[in-house]
Amino acid sequence: MTRRRPAAAVPSPRPPGPPAADAVPGVWRTLVIGYGSPIRGDDAIGPLAADALAAAPLPPGWRVLSRHVLTAELAEDLAAVDRVIFLDASVRGRPGEVQVCTLEPDAHAISTMAHFLDPRELLAWCETLYRRVPQAWLVSAAGASFDYASYRLGPAAAAAVPVMLAEVRRLAAAPSARTGPAAVP
Amino acid sequence: MSRIVTIDPVTRIEGHARITLELDDAGEVRDARFHLTQFRGFEKFCEGRPYREMPALTARTCGICPVSHILASNKACDDLLAVTIPPTAEKLRRVMNLAQLTQSHALSFFHLSSPDLLLGWDADPAGRNIFGVMRQHPELAKDGIRLRQIGQTIIETLGGKKIHPTWVVPGGVAEPLDAAKRDAILALLPEGLEVAKRTYAFFKTLVPRFTAEASHFGTQPTMFLSLVSPQGHLEHYDGFLRLKDAQGHIVEDRVPTGDYVRLVGEAAEDWSFMKFPYYKPMGYPGGIYRVGPLARLNNADACGTPYADVALAEFRMLQDRGPVASSFHYHYARLVEIIYAIEMMERLLQEPDILSARVRARARSNRYEGIGVAEAPRGTLMHHYRIDDNGLITWVNLIIATGHNNLAMNQSIRQVAQAYVDGNRLQEGMLNRVEAVIRCYDPCLSCASHAFGQMPLLIELHDAAGRVVDRLGRP
Repeated sequence: MTRRRPAAAVPSPRPPGPPAADAVPGVWRTLVIGYGSPIRGDDAIGPLAADALAAAPLPPGWRVLSRHVLTAELAEDLAAVDRVIFLDASVRGRPGEVQVCTLEPDAHAISTMAHFLDPRELLAWCETLYRRVPQAWLVSAAGASFDYASYRLGPAAAAAVPVMLAEVRRLAAAPSARTGPAAVP
Repeated sequence: MSRIVTIDPVTRIEGHARITLELDDAGEVRDARFHLTQFRGFEKFCEGRPYREMPALTARTCGICPVSHILASNKACDDLLAVTIPPTAEKLRRVMNLAQLTQSHALSFFHLSSPDLLLGWDADPAGRNIFGVMRQHPELAKDGIRLRQIGQTIIETLGGKKIHPTWVVPGGVAEPLDAAKRDAILALLPEGLEVAKRTYAFFKTLVPRFTAEASHFGTQPTMFLSLVSPQGHLEHYDGFLRLKDAQGHIVEDRVPTGDYVRLVGEAAEDWSFMKFPYYKPMGYPGGIYRVGPLARLNNADACGTPYADVALAEFRMLQDRGPVASSFHYHYARLVEIIYAIEMMERLLQEPDILSARVRARARSNRYEGIGVAEAPRGTLMHHYRIDDNGLITWVNLIIATGHNNLAMNQSIRQVAQAYVDGNRLQEGMLNRVEAVIRCYDPCLSCASHAFGQMPLLIELHDAAGRVVDRLGRP
């Protein structure tokens, strides 16, 4: 089960960092990362939702990753995009309930385990090292069962996948709170 | 009246453990113990499962080094099948193992140990963490991330999944490598080698600052156990077992891995869930030995790659003669091994048969017993299975690298505690050094999880009646 801490509710204004070398004018570089354990029931909803998203044609500038856990080297991937959407399971809420919240870097959210990171800590790594942070959201779905050696989503979690993907598309279509996509000089 | 100091949990290591220091009446350290406090029982609950499930099952022992378990487990399954895997499959497995070593060593050096090495043992613990390193040494921290990314990308390119790849199978690997993937991996390696060489050169300049720590961080005389190639070179995948004594004399050589039971005995203590392996002919606990990067470099006659051999020669100069004894130099050895791993991956990927489609030998089980041994980043990893006529597991023995080092870790913390800890006036920096000597070994406790950063830490001094006489804590 993925570790969870309360997410920040309101993004604070922060100037975007320098554009990455592969920035294309007018195109948001969007990274979607689904993460969770594939052998612990509903905890797999993040990577399974990401896989479902990646199975369909993606808009220009999109990249989708499925991961067991969030690891440090993803900081470099975050530094190269304008926005990132994390997909994860949650232990809070009614099973299948989908929640969306914004995320801000938080260096104090240091994970106690080095082989996985809190998404806010990962954003803090990105900010500290690369001087830029993408806009970030967490789209989570409450799970019902996180038992070991369980390789399938429960009915409520399975029903939440299309809802999560709809939220991803809604976030991607919404105007940004910050300036537009990086322009290449 | 004796007192006990407890460091619980130990931070920036993998898994959950505590350290207790026993003080005498004068407040000096009389004894020290490293306790593994978690129990998992993989050896027991694997019983009854089909042997072909073992690679996937045992990979779940660890989120850090699953590749090591996958390789050792599949080698044990190869032994059950009684097959020799195709040469290309062996080369591809080697590449994956070296990629795993690269990213694992990078995590240990850059993220777990660098706060001590770069910010100081006595620095404010509130800032003595990876963010402190990122602020003061951002380029070095980026290098750490880059090396991890290169290692992980290679594993993903080969195995398809980052954490628990299923590409390695009994008899070889599931899919051959294609030219595009080979070229993609090869394209990563020059940058990786530059990062590794740059970090190594930087660390060499730091080593003289740590003369005191190097003199007290686990300099106890022990033997060293590792695989070596048939030529006596550095080896991480196969070859033979070699054991050297503290003076550098070869005690055992060219021992087939299937004969490990002749060398390694296993003892248990009632105060830890970790086993205490020992060199059987010398008995317990006298048969103490170390494994891992330090042991591998001490045992190898050469690395066999250009830059790593230069670094190995410099490594040997850390000490006037004999094997490098201080466990502090595990850090140095890791950096040498990263250089070696990158050079060797490039060599393997340029072999003419690396794209061969023949990558798997197929058979049913032909033996009732199988043994697989490989070098994990932290040392020699042993998987040993027995099966019945239906291919179901009847018995399992796993000896993980950290277990081999258990006796040595206990001696090391005793040495460091006796050198640095004043029981009459506890200071965080003293106790951080006690933890730091454990980090030299980069222990993977029951192959569990890394722990680092600001974990709550409580150290208490108790008198013989159990009363707390002093307390030092982190929130």
